[in-house]
Amino acid sequence: MWLTSKIKQILMVLKPGVVTLKYPFEPRPVAKDFRGQPAWDHHKCVGCGGCAAHCPARTILVRDICQELRIMIYDGARCAYCGRCADVCPEDAIVMTEQFELATGDRDDITVTMELFMLTCQRCGRCYNMETTNMIDKMELKGFRYDHLEMRAVIPKATERFDAKVLEATERYERPRT
Amino acid sequence: MNAVEVARKLKEEFGAAVRATDSPSPDRLFIDVERAVLRPVSNRIAALGGRYIVSIGYDEIARNGTLGLVHTFAFDADHWAAAVRTSAPASDPLFDSITPDIPNAGWSEREYMDLLGMKFVGHPKPKRLILADDWPEGVHPLRKEVPYNLVPPAAEDVAYRLDEAPEGTAVIPIGPFHSSLHEPEHFAVYVDGETIKGCDYRGFMTHRGIEKLCQTQVSYNEVPFVAERICGICGSVHATTYAQAVEAAAGIRISRRAEYIRTVILEIERLHSHLLWLGVAGHLIGFDTVFMQAWRVRERIMWLSERITGNRKTYGMVVIGGVRRDITPEIAKEIEEVLAGVEKETLVLKKSIIGDTSIHRRTKGVGVISKEESVRWSLVGPVARARGIDIDVRRDHPYAAYDDMTFDVPVVTSEDVWGTLVVRVLEIFEAIKILRQALRNMPSDGPLLAEVGEALPPLRHAFSLVEAPRGEAAHYVITGEENRPERWRVRAPSYPNLQAVPLMLLGDQFADFPIILGSIDPCFSCTDRVAVIDARTGRRRVLGRQELENISRRGKG
Repeated sequence: MWLTSKIKQILMVLKPGVVTLKYPFEPRPVAKDFRGQPAWDHHKCVGCGGCAAHCPARTILVRDICQELRIMIYDGARCAYCGRCADVCPEDAIVMTEQFELATGDRDDITVTMELFMLTCQRCGRCYNMETTNMIDKMELKGFRYDHLEMRAVIPKATERFDAKVLEATERYERPRT
Repeated sequence: MNAVEVARKLKEEFGAAVRATDSPSPDRLFIDVERAVLRPVSNRIAALGGRYIVSIGYDEIARNGTLGLVHTFAFDADHWAAAVRTSAPASDPLFDSITPDIPNAGWSEREYMDLLGMKFVGHPKPKRLILADDWPEGVHPLRKEVPYNLVPPAAEDVAYRLDEAPEGTAVIPIGPFHSSLHEPEHFAVYVDGETIKGCDYRGFMTHRGIEKLCQTQVSYNEVPFVAERICGICGSVHATTYAQAVEAAAGIRISRRAEYIRTVILEIERLHSHLLWLGVAGHLIGFDTVFMQAWRVRERIMWLSERITGNRKTYGMVVIGGVRRDITPEIAKEIEEVLAGVEKETLVLKKSIIGDTSIHRRTKGVGVISKEESVRWSLVGPVARARGIDIDVRRDHPYAAYDDMTFDVPVVTSEDVWGTLVVRVLEIFEAIKILRQALRNMPSDGPLLAEVGEALPPLRHAFSLVEAPRGEAAHYVITGEENRPERWRVRAPSYPNLQAVPLMLLGDQFADFPIILGSIDPCFSCTDRVAVIDARTGRRRVLGRQELENISRRGKG
């Protein structure tokens, strides 16, 4: 009994032989529609921030540093590669590439920063007050945007009701260095 | 006994103490009771045949100054589930513990002692479960007023107090970091010679605060992607369970085609999980041929899921209202081809290992827990089916497209680790069977995503059950007002099964510890999902060492 099962196992192992790929030396093509590193097309991007509002990992940030300059930052270190940004982009400016070899010692290697020149109204000097039915507005669900003051207001500020002492200790506390 | 009868019976027996019953769908019954009768009502439901699932605590202080508590029960033979709801004022959060009667409620109740500051009268082991030992007293992280990113200062001089070791035993600490555990958890095993006499468990070291995060920061449609990351194996199980719960709460109906695609994804996940487990089990008993071969077979399934979902794992497929990607005829053909290969190879694998005496010797009669005890401890999944309990959510509470599938639920009565192995191997073939049916019967049209309205109705309760490869996953959702759940409770299958491990270990040899623990396919991360601070590596290390030092000192003395 013992011997027969061992012989069976040897046969089972011999049949497929070696299946290990010579991966780093021979590249392995990924499947079609693979979700790798997302790539932005700055020609197509209109700066609506829909990707930032829908990113589950909060890895796309939007910053308006002045009236006419919007900076979009993609921080790949936190990306979950879900491809949600590519799904919601109304201009198809985001594609999921086949790039998956992203291990790096430098975070900047996988960080993408895009500076967009935004138009403002010639008459009032503010950004366009868009109609409420357009695509961009539809996408702005109550998500989270880095600097979106209006949307920040809906995020509950728990701290108002919380024990001030514990909160202060939290703010003063420094994490142990590893 | 169906939901209507149970509701009538409870009203008759408890009178006005049962405030209201509500049945939003034929397979769900919500019972609102007075706090005083929580324990008798729960016991009555258990006596009528209800299998305890999980308890849910939630904070309603801002709304009406109360803390809510829900016990959920499944009636598997009659295809429905019940939830017993009650509440207590936050100034006096006393509830009667149901743990003395239903031991599996122990962790749920300890969880809410930590996270919501509830108090349970008569709890047999009211120790800390979730929070770190140096977390300040009186700060209950799941309460709404506590910020999600609160980091109280660490303390150096605290340690978890393990249970007293039984007379004449030595303590062997396993973990927090140990080669036979895949994740940081701490077992203190009390041994007399080689025989295990008891065990204390201190886990929840991989807290990531997922529930709090999703209740305060992300929105409905982002939660599935967070839910997937609860577990490295059953990703789309958690996403599906969550999506189903929200769909049930908001009354969203998804297309039949989307349901079929969900079924396909879930079964592919089961295939890969069972093959993975088979490999790990082989590895744990020192039989690495099984490990290598099972994982070789599994690799084709991983490539297949890369083709279907765009990722090696079955991630990123499920959203509220349906699925994101289609299964085209080409992909269906590829699935068929892979299935044929996997079926053939698994059959070879099965034939060559099932008669192997070394596997028999290492697994038969090991980790025994009787059927009565398993029922009492509400075990789920293959662990329960190996103890002769005939439950399977896919058949008992059909979801997705499982009501169209015909399949067998393998049940064995050996009550040991061997049984779980047999059940899992047989389920691989059942999964292949289901996949073929699903591909054959899939409707060819229908939208992948159902239209979801702008705002989901707030404060609706719903829960859904899904059969994960390891057992039953349960998610309870209370919809909220800010485009995110007000409360989202995740119960992974390891949560009930892990609680019965000390019982399984009793009287076994110490060398069998890894395979007994491995037999439930424990997923510590799933179990730990709830915690509220991200464990900081530095502090965790200090804590672990001290704990270990304390234990070793006591062991010597």
